[in-house]
Amino acid sequence: MRPPSSLKQEFLKKWITGLQRCSSSKRNMSILERTKAIKLSADVAMASARNSTTCWSRALIANASKDGSDGKHLVEQILGLESERLMMKKASTGALVCNKRIRSKKILKRSCRIPRTRKCVPQVALATSIAKRMVRKRTQVLKSLIPGGEFMNEVSLIEETLDYIISLRVQVDVMRGLAGVSELVNHN
Amino acid sequence: MSNRRSRQSTAGVSRISDDQIIELVSKLRQLLPEIRDRRSDKVSASKVLQETCNYIRSLHREVDDLSERLSQLLATIDADSAEAAIIRSLIM
Repeated sequence: MRPPSSLKQEFLKKWITGLQRCSSSKRNMSILERTKAIKLSADVAMASARNSTTCWSRALIANASKDGSDGKHLVEQILGLESERLMMKKASTGALVCNKRIRSKKILKRSCRIPRTRKCVPQVALATSIAKRMVRKRTQVLKSLIPGGEFMNEVSLIEETLDYIISLRVQVDVMRGLAGVSELVNHN
Repeated sequence: MSNRRSRQSTAGVSRISDDQIIELVSKLRQLLPEIRDRRSDKVSASKVLQETCNYIRSLHREVDDLSERLSQLLATIDADSAEAAIIRSLIM
């Protein structure tokens, strides 16, 4: 695994490049527009620092390129030529996997709903089933938080979560550093 | 057919890699700030998942706050000014 300090440097480099590209096109952005641009370029930089090796990073870039023309335009600017390659990769596999999983989930849900006649359940089995239900529920929540999480099985989900948390921390540390520096400069 | 395949794949995962899941969950625990400080070894999977979700949400919130703060700070800095050059030299 790459040491975290080089991940920070890579993120910072890509983020600054993205920011410069964003702001060079629009001189007078509103605060809201600028906030969105900063967040988007930070997310895209974080994802592209992984070079398509993780599922969440591919999903993040694909989602960013989807939301209307603004997002797509920004992503193209930030990633340059890389963006076309990345977007094509996700588009070919994503839709197919998505439809299959959704259909199989629907069928599974329908078939599970039918047997409702349970007579008396022993205590241990009840506790285990409650625990299982909690884990299932929380797994669903986690899937909604990780980009592209709905398409992962449990093992990949945890692996992707680990990597995603590490990347998020790097993102937060670097952004906090830049905010601190900017504040110092502003005060002078 | 896709139903059968998906059931097979989930059954396969739980049969083969229970240890793998336990190992991954323990790695996750080490990343989370609250659980890491607690001494007990017996933390339930659902608790770990809950803490993970809370942690990710708080990280997202922090990113949003920092984006807003940076946007206000950078708005006052002219791209060609001396301040921008200072920032650029400090972080590059």
